[in-house]
Amino acid sequence: MGDVKLEHVSKHYDDVTAVDDMNVQIRDGEFVCLVGPSGCGKSTTMEMVAGLTMPSEGTIHIAGHEVTNLPPKDRGIAMVFQNIALFPHMDVYDNISFGLRLRDYDKEEIDRRVEKASDVVQLEGMLDRMPDEMSGGQRQRVAIARAIVRNPEVFLMDEPLANLDAKLRVHMRTELQRLHKELDTTIIYVTHDQAEAMTMSDRIAVLDSGQLQQIDPPLTCYNEPANLFVAGFIGSPAMNFVEGEVTENGFRSENLDVEFDPARMGVNVGDQVTLGIRPEDVYPADDGRTLSHPTAEIETVSDVLEPMGDEIFIYLLLADDVETNLEETASNNQLLMSVDPDSDITEEQDVDVVLDRSKIHLFDTNSGQALQHGLVNPTTAESTTGTEAESDD
Amino acid sequence: MATDTGQSNQQNTGIGEDRPLKRGPLSKWVSSSIQNPERAYRAMFYVATVFFLFTTLFPFYWLLVLALTPQNLLTNVGLVPNGFNPMSFVTVFERVPFHIYMFNSLVLGIMTTVIVLLLASLAGYVFGRLRFPGKAPMMLAILAISYFPPAAFLIPLFELFTGNVAVPLLGTSLVFGEQLYLNSPDLFNTPWAMVLPFSALFMPLSIFILTTFYGQIPDGLEDAARIEGTTRLGALFRVIIPLSAPGVATAGVLTFISVYNEFFFSFLMNNGEAQNWAPLVGGIIGLQGQFDTPYHLMAAASIIGVLPVAILVIVAQEKIVSGLTAGALKE
Repeated sequence: MGDVKLEHVSKHYDDVTAVDDMNVQIRDGEFVCLVGPSGCGKSTTMEMVAGLTMPSEGTIHIAGHEVTNLPPKDRGIAMVFQNIALFPHMDVYDNISFGLRLRDYDKEEIDRRVEKASDVVQLEGMLDRMPDEMSGGQRQRVAIARAIVRNPEVFLMDEPLANLDAKLRVHMRTELQRLHKELDTTIIYVTHDQAEAMTMSDRIAVLDSGQLQQIDPPLTCYNEPANLFVAGFIGSPAMNFVEGEVTENGFRSENLDVEFDPARMGVNVGDQVTLGIRPEDVYPADDGRTLSHPTAEIETVSDVLEPMGDEIFIYLLLADDVETNLEETASNNQLLMSVDPDSDITEEQDVDVVLDRSKIHLFDTNSGQALQHGLVNPTTAESTTGTEAESDD
Repeated sequence: MATDTGQSNQQNTGIGEDRPLKRGPLSKWVSSSIQNPERAYRAMFYVATVFFLFTTLFPFYWLLVLALTPQNLLTNVGLVPNGFNPMSFVTVFERVPFHIYMFNSLVLGIMTTVIVLLLASLAGYVFGRLRFPGKAPMMLAILAISYFPPAAFLIPLFELFTGNVAVPLLGTSLVFGEQLYLNSPDLFNTPWAMVLPFSALFMPLSIFILTTFYGQIPDGLEDAARIEGTTRLGALFRVIIPLSAPGVATAGVLTFISVYNEFFFSFLMNNGEAQNWAPLVGGIIGLQGQFDTPYHLMAAASIIGVLPVAILVIVAQEKIVSGLTAGALKE
């Protein structure tokens, strides 16, 4: 039973609040990513679970026991660090068996467990090497072996892949997923890389300035972000945002209007709202005919093209007057579109686009909370029904 | 072309080539030093080194000269011994139990080193790895102790260790009807009378060295050790100290040498008898009889006494140098 429960956990330093009233429940065997920008409190949260930092308020339970004031060694956890933190004066065997030797296991038991752990991470035949004789990936595997050898209730991983090169990182990512499947242990994983979080986790906990913004499965965070921050943080490139106002006819901004019936979308006329649409949900008008719920055509001018190989990102300017737009590159006037690589759109060309209504999000501009996901009339809606936003999550 | 070179040659001769003829060797050297300042620096380095070596090594040579001179020729000793008498080195051990004095010195040095390393490790951990208010002033206060002249402590400590200090126990007159006193322990003629002040006096330097070393061990390693199952103390002894081995060795060797070289407490905290834990100083002074002062034996004893430390320094010098500089040059 490796469930983890944080209740009203806060951490205040002298004049900074690193973590603010965090409430999270992580089920046994779950892979949860804590994700957020630097300084959002994700590492502090993990250190509090590990026992390296004591919370200022709140309680932490691991596997049903309260551990709030227990030292790290009594919490049944293991941790993999960003800087790997192998003991440089010990060889691989001694590093892996460090925790076992401290707990006075039999020599045979230690040998058996070290062998099994080094099998899992494919370190056979390297047990007598010193850490400085190994590559980054091998060292990281030793660190993982050191963590799994004690059969902990919970794994904590603090950006374990951040110091590896890009290719190795992708490889280790799949290794970790395989490991999770094999061991079936709770894993809490801290990262600032939203791609890592999306690909590996059962649930993502998005943090910003010490507060939990949303904790949901990756696709829920992607498709139904709880607020502006989550919408902007999850997904690369980021979601387009256009600030505007709700009128009787729908959304209205300086350069972009979307028609809908405010009463049916849970918004009131006069509300200040921000419209969000992901780049892949913006279509050239011709392609947009296949959509079941397209918006009216929007006139834009293409600005910069970013060919990625499998797709092209096109920056579109919404206003007619290109000159003013180039000067003030406010995102309010700009829309990013992702199109097929065989598209013939060139720079500085007039492009008419449509948006996929079912993928449009409305956020309260002031509070940032999501108001509506999908602008399809509930009567005619097929897939995405406009539900109340999980703003209280 | 030919005329051109001729002209330029003439110009050179006119201005440049005449003047060196007037120069003596010194002004030549000066002018070339101005061209290459490294030469001047190297020369200064050699001068300083030779001077330093002379002032350091000449006393040793003088000791050797004295030790080898037979006793009856000890007047008008020159730069070369007036005879050859290596038997002095044996006589030292016949007159006094010099090996026991040496053993005492070693024991005192080792006891002090162990105490200092143990306590300075704990202090170094606190100063190097924890954050707490008043850290800098406390560190300064500790370092300030090492600047006090040891002689300032002599009289109070002598009184204390000879059992002459009595502390009145508060309230005893009310309970027992008479005032009771707690006498200080009589440590005179025991190793503790020397080890305790040595430890206190030499601790600050070790704390300082270990603080810089322990402060440089990455936090992640300590965190990893604690997650793996050690306490903070366990992490200190299993991870931080082994990784700071050069620093610990430096602190240990410096402490040992300081104790071995110490004079005031070594001389005054015992009666100079080998069986009363008198160190080398007692042995050398003990050679002095009522009617004669055998300089040749005292010189021989000094040379014998220097040997263990000389060997220690030669063996450990690389570690000491790397230990002292590693603190200064981070990474």
